Amino acid sequence: MDLRPDRAAAPGTAAVRAVIRVRAVPWPHGPAEQSAAGRAAAAEALAAAGSTERTVPRGPGGRPRFPPGFPGSISHTGRLAVAVVVPGAEAVGIDVEDAVVTARTARFVLGERERRTLLAPAGPYPPRELFAAKEAAFKALSGTGDTPDGLPFWRIGLNRSGGRLTARYGGRSVPVWTRSRTDHSLALAIRRRPAHLALIGDGKP
Amino acid sequence: MSDPVSAVRQRIRGLLVDLFGAEHPVHAAPDEGSLRAAGVSSTGLVRLLVAMEDTFSFEWDDEVRPEVLRSIDSLAGHVVAVRG
Repeated sequence: MDLRPDRAAAPGTAAVRAVIRVRAVPWPHGPAEQSAAGRAAAAEALAAAGSTERTVPRGPGGRPRFPPGFPGSISHTGRLAVAVVVPGAEAVGIDVEDAVVTARTARFVLGERERRTLLAPAGPYPPRELFAAKEAAFKALSGTGDTPDGLPFWRIGLNRSGGRLTARYGGRSVPVWTRSRTDHSLALAIRRRPAHLALIGDGKP
Repeated sequence: MSDPVSAVRQRIRGLLVDLFGAEHPVHAAPDEGSLRAAGVSSTGLVRLLVAMEDTFSFEWDDEVRPEVLRSIDSLAGHVVAVRG
């Protein structure tokens, strides 16, 4: 699935490059297989991004802990694992969804304005894509690359401007890129570092 | 005779079977265990929350604390609390 964030930086932020890798989840497609496939995809993404450290140990709560300077995120379904690494970004979130998002679930996750302006057929997005957008954005905004236990990611607000989604929560915002195919939807959210921080940096890419 | 929280826990486990089938790894998880760690996806969690609204006749508050959504035990405790 093609998902290329524009490389041009927003005013006041540093340009970034997203490296995405995908792995199939082997039978029996359970949590252990999903986790292993996700970490294998993350290792490939770290290598492609130039990291010498290519393992992603579990941090607090089992969340993936990416090497300093190479923030990343992992998501998986029962069949597909996806990982992204964005060198130099402040935080990143990715989400892949293959479940059917029913009208009732969409009402639970999406506010009235989002249903009226974003959700098809009134808007351009299928419900599963908006669901993935909220979860990816929450991962990026929470700065963990993961969704902490039970955190109500659906409280994130989505807007569309200039043909792209922007997510807002807790006074912060993040752009979200989304794509859908028949069997799954993918969303990527990248929180860029302010340009002046990227320049003084921490000595890492 | 079971206490109210135990009865709700059993109903929630029944919902999990209805939603995910009898073979899902969540059924092996303890009541206090993380639903996410047991393989319940985000879409799965939302489906469970929606089913709980129908089953227990209440609506989730937008300001619900995240720790409430963590496990079968925490969900059951919340249901008993809001239903008085």
